[in-house]
Amino acid sequence: MAVPDRDLAEFRSTVGDWCRANVPKDWRRAQAGAPEEQFVAFQKAWFQELRQVGWAVPHWPAEWGGGMSVAEQIVLYQELAANDAPRLVLAFVAIHHAASTLLVAGTDEQRRCHLPAILDGELWVQGFSEPDAGSDLASLRTTGRREGDVFVVNGQKLWSSGAAHADWCLLLVRTDPGAPKREGISYFLMDMRTPGIDVRPIRNANGESHFCEMFLDDVVIPVSGLVGPEHGGWRVAQETLSAERGMTMLELSERLGRAGFTWLLEACRVRGPSGDRLLDDPVVADRLAAFEIEVAGLRSLCRRVVERHEAGASAPAEASIAKLLYSELLQRVMDFATEVVGLEAHTQLTKPLSSGWESGAWMLDYIGSYEWTIPGGTSEIQRTIIGERGLGLPREPAAR
Amino acid sequence: MDSDFGAVHDELRGVARMMLANHSPLTTAGRSFKPLDWQLLASSGWLGLEVPAAQGGAGAGFAELAVLLTEFGRVAAAAPYLGSVVLGTAALSLLEANTGRDHRLQELAAGTRRVAVALPTDRPEVGQPTAPFRIRRAGSVLEVSGRAGFVPDVVGADEILLLAADDHRPVLVAVAPSAPGLQIDAQPVVDETRHLAAVIADGVEIDPDSLWSFTGSPEAGAARLAERAMLAVACDSLGLATMMMEATVAYVTDRYQFGRPIGSYQAVKHACADMLVGISICSELVGTAVEALSSDEPGSWVPVSMAKAHVSSVAVEIAGKAIQLHGGVGYTWERGLHAYLKRAALNRSLFGSPIAHRRRLAARYAGEGNS
Ligand SMILES: Cc1cc2nc3c(=O)[nH]c(=O)nc-3n(C[C@H](O)[C@H](O)[C@H](O)COP(=O)(O)OP(=O)(O)OC[C@H]3O[C@@H](n4cnc5c(N)ncnc54)[C@H](O)[C@@H]3O)c2cc1C
Repeated sequence: MAVPDRDLAEFRSTVGDWCRANVPKDWRRAQAGAPEEQFVAFQKAWFQELRQVGWAVPHWPAEWGGGMSVAEQIVLYQELAANDAPRLVLAFVAIHHAASTLLVAGTDEQRRCHLPAILDGELWVQGFSEPDAGSDLASLRTTGRREGDVFVVNGQKLWSSGAAHADWCLLLVRTDPGAPKREGISYFLMDMRTPGIDVRPIRNANGESHFCEMFLDDVVIPVSGLVGPEHGGWRVAQETLSAERGMTMLELSERLGRAGFTWLLEACRVRGPSGDRLLDDPVVADRLAAFEIEVAGLRSLCRRVVERHEAGASAPAEASIAKLLYSELLQRVMDFATEVVGLEAHTQLTKPLSSGWESGAWMLDYIGSYEWTIPGGTSEIQRTIIGERGLGLPREPAAR
Repeated sequence: MDSDFGAVHDELRGVARMMLANHSPLTTAGRSFKPLDWQLLASSGWLGLEVPAAQGGAGAGFAELAVLLTEFGRVAAAAPYLGSVVLGTAALSLLEANTGRDHRLQELAAGTRRVAVALPTDRPEVGQPTAPFRIRRAGSVLEVSGRAGFVPDVVGADEILLLAADDHRPVLVAVAPSAPGLQIDAQPVVDETRHLAAVIADGVEIDPDSLWSFTGSPEAGAARLAERAMLAVACDSLGLATMMMEATVAYVTDRYQFGRPIGSYQAVKHACADMLVGISICSELVGTAVEALSSDEPGSWVPVSMAKAHVSSVAVEIAGKAIQLHGGVGYTWERGLHAYLKRAALNRSLFGSPIAHRRRLAARYAGEGNS
């Protein structure tokens, strides 16, 4: 649906005004290094503020509380970024991965049960990866034994982001050990309050503990928790992964452009003790311009990917192209920022958890950028996908 | 370098590697960044490597020191070695003989005294280091004022040597950390293996006996000190990059995905190969610079700047790629790779950024400047 430019301009000023009135002043300072509970409370409160004005899940269908056009979403994300609004990091999996799974493959019952609950603050975690099943996700070994109306699940999940706070889990389980790798997997919705789930946080490279290990010991999941057909979970996971990828990129590329890159420009405009600015160095200026060009291309591409997805006309591997571009560009921008800002970039020891991947604490942001080049299909795996699915190149032996 | 030296270096390297083996953040599970035992370093002779035998040292040169520095980089060692040994001992050795000097060298070698040297580190200044401090003479009273940020290993030092301009002539001034008017602000950085601080002197009164001149040209002396700092950091980056390559090669050999070691996939294998290619050129650059510096060649700043610019950049790339190739494991605190990336990135900015060093090198192309 095309929205006339005038309306978009109006919408932009509405969002801008709202942000100026409602984005908590000084939230960055208050949230930097804040204890976990404070972060969770802050995230939940902010989610409800956005929800009240209808901006928490703009990408959902109208009947569930979304329904915003792609053009409007872009304006929304741009204004949220430009006004330095906190990001919905804690609800990320709920509003993207869980929602797209339910919308694409869930039953009406599951949708009715969870989509409104997500709006009320239900949090989700993705329990896909295992110690021996990372890039080769299909080799996962967590087992589900069917016993009448329930599955009894045993195994270990790894790197489950946000598991410590999650109410529900998107879970991949091997339910048919005899079948070929991808044909014996089922996709479940698991209530995190079920007995037998042991969650242990893992400290990450920046010293935070967001991702976790999950040990599942005779966890009982009712058959009603299945998404898609029994043993048909692999297909469900593939479809929802690419659906979600485009949407998240739309927001993240605007953040990179409107927040990350803009702050880097600001840092380069600061006058040093001798009155000079980093910007005055032609080498720095050239790199900044090169980044601006790439960010512009990325933003445009992400928009195109979402529009084509909505029209049901996605090109093969384009979601992978967007993810690869975003994650590696983010990494290069943060690396460069760390380099040119110099020793000062190393003096910020904490960053507010609600800021996402560009907080202005450049060294921490640079390390944090690996949260995009490793998960959700590493850069190496994305290139293989782009080569094989995007270009039809012959498959690599034993891979995919 | 002749083979005798080669053998000596190999032995030093072997001993160091054995002694430091359990000190890497990779083996301490990224948990502790405990400083190395200073007395152990003293008894190994590593604190007095360049101190003349007469003062209880080994009478060796920068080439031997470079071997150790590379080994310290491999384990991302937390030790005040850069401040006290690489810069402190050298600063004293570059000075005209004076009463306190030999005594201090002796104590430094024995590990009973630690010093720090305040050179410019925060602004990407290369070339002739501008002294961050100034001397003021009011009658017979001498005062020093100024500020240096990000000075290594100040906290815990018994004495701080300030690079100061005495009527435009660079000199070193020794001050006690407790001197009235002297302020030391520890500056924690993301890299927990290094300890930096800002040193601020506001009219600190100094004893004329604590104002020391460099032997020969004062400018050359000050430049030599700065070059040592730059090259020490390059050696460190070379060591840590090498360790990251080795750790990655071991990991991708053992880790299986899709039924094969991940190192068998070209994307992974080629990335590892690029590490080796990068390190190969880095070790040449470091070797050339070390030779130039230890044989006091005029124009040694050129190979030093080349090494600092290139090695400190490549090390960041290699440490980053190491994390990437370890997958999720690489992103954990426990695994310790993060300590290497943080140190590599700090090294890149310490004592002149790669851009600043390249700018200095490029200034030679116009046929002017100090080539
Ligand atoms: C911050 C973070 C958050 C995460 N959050 C979640 C989460 O919420 N839920 C979840 O389920 N998982 C999560 N993950 C896990 C993530 O999806 C995996 O780490 C990722 O899929 C890679 O798997 P791995 O870690 O086992 O690495 P491996 O698969 O062992 O890969 C190691 C290296 O080998 C390369 N490689 C492997 N196979 C090939 C091949 N065939 N060709 C070329 N290169 C190859 C990889 O690219 C990588 O560089 C998270 C990971 C991180 C770092």
